Amino acid sequence: MTTDVLKEFSGLAPFVDAWSLATEDERRAKRKSSTKEELQAFYNAMLPELEKILDLADQYPKGKMPPEVDTYFFMALSLAEVAPHIELYSGNPNVPFSFTEERFIALHGQDRG
Amino acid sequence: MAATQEAIRWAKQFPELGEGPIPVEPCISPEIYQQEIEKVFKKTWLNVGRDEEIPNIGDYKVKRLAFAKTSIILIRGKDGKVRGFHNTCSHRGNKVITEKGEETFGRSKAAVVTCRFHGWVYNAEGKIVSLPEEEKFLPCFAKEDNGLTAVHTDVWEGFIFINLDPAEKVQSLSDFLGTYKDHMGGFPYKELEPSFNYHTYLDCNWKVAHDAFAEAYHVNTIHAGSFPNVFSSGIQHVRFFGDHRTTAVCLNLEGNANPVSKIATQRTVSSLVVKRDGRSMLPPTVNPDKRSDFGFELSVIFPNILVHITEGVWFTHQFWPIAHNKTLWEGRYYTRRAETNSQRWAEEYAKVLQRNAWLEDTATMEDTQDALESGAKKYMNLQDDEILIRHGYHVLEKYLSA
Repeated sequence: MTTDVLKEFSGLAPFVDAWSLATEDERRAKRKSSTKEELQAFYNAMLPELEKILDLADQYPKGKMPPEVDTYFFMALSLAEVAPHIELYSGNPNVPFSFTEERFIALHGQDRG
Repeated sequence: MAATQEAIRWAKQFPELGEGPIPVEPCISPEIYQQEIEKVFKKTWLNVGRDEEIPNIGDYKVKRLAFAKTSIILIRGKDGKVRGFHNTCSHRGNKVITEKGEETFGRSKAAVVTCRFHGWVYNAEGKIVSLPEEEKFLPCFAKEDNGLTAVHTDVWEGFIFINLDPAEKVQSLSDFLGTYKDHMGGFPYKELEPSFNYHTYLDCNWKVAHDAFAEAYHVNTIHAGSFPNVFSSGIQHVRFFGDHRTTAVCLNLEGNANPVSKIATQRTVSSLVVKRDGRSMLPPTVNPDKRSDFGFELSVIFPNILVHITEGVWFTHQFWPIAHNKTLWEGRYYTRRAETNSQRWAEEYAKVLQRNAWLEDTATMEDTQDALESGAKKYMNLQDDEILIRHGYHVLEKYLSA
């Protein structure tokens, strides 16, 4: 069944390597180093699939998804990182009028998931 | 435009706090900073951790306190009690526990800590259990007199406090907190789980950072980016409990039509800016009139921690002085545990937005410090809803003039 569902996400294939990132530190770095166009392209590709990915993820206990589902779940987490930049900050890869992000240390920044 | 009589509430209610501007000097003076360290930070109770961080017998946490040039070992003993000690060996003064950063965690099944220099072992009551080559110490050395240096340690609602005052007897934590306990006690702090935790070093005075978080006046401007649909509708129910203070921060939350934001709202278990229904977990004196625009309770335990509570969420901002123009800020956020993967995803979205809002908050602080140090202004002007800041300055003044 999982294989069938995963086929549905074949459109996301070009984004997997760049955006299937397990930790917040990786997702922040990727978002900050992307262009407005790259953020928009990722957002546009992910948005129609988001709810399907979340529903698929919910077929497994929390944090216990098979690797092929993790791949897409991590991309959904990247979308959570990117979405405010598209929906609120006009595509700016940085948070406008903010403190220097690199100096903001996340204690959980290297936790997976 | 001059203030209208109707708009002024708190100055009328608390005339003892006065109405004038407050001085800039305490934010830029190294001498006043030193007085604050000696008369406040080395004399009052300070929150340094949570019970849940060291849940088991023998668990320990080492907290660095740069302002006092020390670090404190908090260790849970066989009797279940947490005790605090300076992290300084009685032999030749090495740090007993090697620190890995601002906070270092460890576990000892035997509930002991061992100095790596010469292997002195101390139990969770600070007493020397063993030391290698004990027979070679001269007769004037008494093991029982050379335990770790204890610091006053106590716990309220899972918050672990220490007091660095070397005096044998100090005011109890319970008396220090006073009626603050009645207002903020009873919230299920322990039932909510650590969700995220950020820290940074800010090149500003600790009060510049503290005060920026102690008012809601900034919400509509500073957070126009991350929370464009959240508007402060002012503060309610300001109360003072001796040195401590509290207010309800009220927010109007307009529906957010953005697609990812909407999905996060549907999947979330808890968020600061999502309307909630159902039973309240708030203590009865918090939002007593059940206002629908209640956002969260913003309380301050003097001198350096803000504790906020609302339904399903609590969070803290803490400010550790390092120099008159340098501060360690720590932001911690606790929520209901996500039970499913999609709830975990919604938690991530809420975290990103909250983190970005904190990045907006911290953005002004170094600029403020720079501008204050220019000497261009001798005073800052407060509006009526910045009453918590005014109270803070009065409390501090009381300590400094004591």
